[in-house]
Amino acid sequence: MNQRIGRPGEERSFDLAWRPPRRIVEQIVGWRARQISDPVERLRYLQRSASGASKHRHSLGWRRRTAIFLLGFLLIPPPTASDANISPLRIRETVPVPGEASAEPEPPPVWLVERTPDYEVYSNGLRIETRFTVSYQPRKYPIYSEDWSQIEPIGWGAEPVGIVYHSTESDQAPFEEEQNRKLKYLGEALLRYVRQHKSYHYVIDRFGRIFRIVDEGSSANHAGYSVWASGGRAFVNLNRSFLGIALEAQTQHGDEVQGPAITPAQVHAARVLTEMLRSRYRISARNCVTHAQVSVSPSAARIGYHTDWASDFPFDELGLPDNYAVPPPSLYGFGFGYDSLFEKVAGVSLRNGLQLAEERLRQDASASGLAVPAYRARLQQRYRRLIAALNAESALEENDDEKHD
Amino acid sequence: MRNTTKEVIGLDIGTSRIVAARRENDGYGFEAQLNAFVTIPYSRITENVLTKESVPHCVNGAEITVFGNEAARIADLLNVETRRPMTRGVLNPGEPQSLAQIRRLLTSVLGEAPKQGHKVCFTVPAPGVGSEENITYHETMIRQILRDFGYEVRSLNEGLAVIYGELEDSNYTGVGISFGGGLCNVALAYMSVPVLSFSTPKGGDFIDSSAAAVTGELANRVRLVKEDGFSLNGHYSEKIHQALSVYYDDMMQSVVNGLKEAFEASRNVPKLGKKIPLVLSGGSALPAGFRDRFEKLIQEASLPVQFSEIRLASDPLYATAKGALVAALAD
Ligand SMILES: Nc1ncnc2c1ncn2[C@@H]1O[C@H](COP(=O)(O)OP(=O)(O)O)[C@@H](O)[C@H]1O
Ligand SMILES: [Mg+2]
Repeated sequence: MNQRIGRPGEERSFDLAWRPPRRIVEQIVGWRARQISDPVERLRYLQRSASGASKHRHSLGWRRRTAIFLLGFLLIPPPTASDANISPLRIRETVPVPGEASAEPEPPPVWLVERTPDYEVYSNGLRIETRFTVSYQPRKYPIYSEDWSQIEPIGWGAEPVGIVYHSTESDQAPFEEEQNRKLKYLGEALLRYVRQHKSYHYVIDRFGRIFRIVDEGSSANHAGYSVWASGGRAFVNLNRSFLGIALEAQTQHGDEVQGPAITPAQVHAARVLTEMLRSRYRISARNCVTHAQVSVSPSAARIGYHTDWASDFPFDELGLPDNYAVPPPSLYGFGFGYDSLFEKVAGVSLRNGLQLAEERLRQDASASGLAVPAYRARLQQRYRRLIAALNAESALEENDDEKHD
Repeated sequence: MRNTTKEVIGLDIGTSRIVAARRENDGYGFEAQLNAFVTIPYSRITENVLTKESVPHCVNGAEITVFGNEAARIADLLNVETRRPMTRGVLNPGEPQSLAQIRRLLTSVLGEAPKQGHKVCFTVPAPGVGSEENITYHETMIRQILRDFGYEVRSLNEGLAVIYGELEDSNYTGVGISFGGGLCNVALAYMSVPVLSFSTPKGGDFIDSSAAAVTGELANRVRLVKEDGFSLNGHYSEKIHQALSVYYDDMMQSVVNGLKEAFEASRNVPKLGKKIPLVLSGGSALPAGFRDRFEKLIQEASLPVQFSEIRLASDPLYATAKGALVAALAD
């Protein structure tokens, strides 16, 4: 046929490389755009959003690009309630939700190459020291619907669905050769402590060595009160549903900010370990998050009870999307707030995530015809009921265990 | 503020018609002229009549040139073909008066007053038939004329204009098609970002001339018949109607084939995984039954993209101009 294919505008070649914005971006931007009833304003918003992203298209990796894309959208003033152009909320089901697992790149397949009493070696170079491994409580956890429409679980799980990254915040020595003895000593003390308290599944010491402490089939005491959700499924108190990986590091430096909190060896170790775990349990990249993102204080109804990795977690280097930008479900699902301290330690991307969650909450409130404080109170009550039910459940379970003993 | 009096105009420069869109009160206002002219021998009486009826025209020595909407009717009365400043989406290289007539036609839809600092966004076809150089030449010349009028000028792909004019509900995501006289223009955008576009060379003119060739009528005559209530309902009593339906199918099938080719050539479009809307516009989409027939062809083609709906533009003749205006306002 006498026809050629072209891309409109200045470039006239067909854009083979075009790819849709990532799902999360699309949902957030699309949702915001729909709040704008004037067609011209809506087009302007979408175009500006898109051009903010395309400027960076070629120079950066796609994950970083997404972060900037998202940032671009956030910097563009969203329609405000006082704007006469804004129509009342129309489409309820398009509010942003974390992206689906299927939209994420699959981790490469990783398999066990060799196992000895002391270590395991995997096909991606991962080596896990296993001589400190202990078991703990069996892993079994409720799964909730992501819209939290009911406080009863929609199902139960027994395999890890996610990873929470921690920093140990333990004592540190300067990372220098002369300090080798002290570095080793601190690392070993840490391992003993973690083993005793069943604090994490994995510890990555400062030399990048990976120790399995609590075996993967058990829960560990790593996440306490915590909340996360993605792909339609929500999880509360992640000890049993998520694996805990701790990096021997201090991420909370206070005011005097130093260099990177972890060593290159640790970054590499975290990457290969993450690959293996994602491959083994088919863990969604969206469910690989930091402790600061998931930790909550029920009594204060605030997010960020723990603040380790509130910023600068190297998602990109670990082969993960910038999950900081995902609105925390505890905020929009349970009406939690955050304090100024948390805002201060949070990195720019996490702050954006918080802002998005706040906005989603506002929209949800107006959709349900409630003022924000009333809506928030209702969500918080939902959380309290859910936790009460959960506690009752595990109390019964413990009773059960005792009978069997 | 000084700016409030500045005009912003969307301009659809089609092979068949030139349409200007402006914002008016709550909605949009349109001004259209047929992109055609006819020359008739000069006579005082004729000139008086034309002037009295405010038919756009000009006198060149022994000839009167009538341009715009009345040109077709007058040509039909005199049993001659209209002359066309454009063909197949771009300036007609075979028409020595093309630039002069385009300038007149533009003046008649845009108004005479100087336009210093006013904005205009005009549509251009996607690459297709005519060589790319043709489009570049065409675009450069139109741009120059509009600049000379004093406008701030930008251009916009025609298919994309349809999307901007019609698909706000899907956040400017979907396929927009303009079935025009010279060409059919197709574009796909995703959240306002153009992803692909192309044009096919078979439009209303192709239908007219092909049907004229097999029936022995003048193309201008066929066109008037076609525009007078022809419908794609499958029952054709007249030979002209029969012929029209054959070439209508040909035009639609070319577009469907183009879509298939374009979608399959793209790495990510087939992976969209969600349905998108498709909107039909342009004068050639007007006959009754057009949408149904097109949908049937789409279904038969089993494209790698699914459509949430296939619908006619709210006003098929003005969708492009409206989209150009929306783009200009959004700038
Ligand atoms: N009512 C009608 N029925 C069928 N065809 C029509 C009708 N009105 C206009 N057309 C055809 O539409 C074409 C022009 O459409 P238009 O969108 O104005 O084209 P262009 O973009 O080329 O200027 C011409 O071929 C004309 O004959
Ligand atoms: Mg047109």
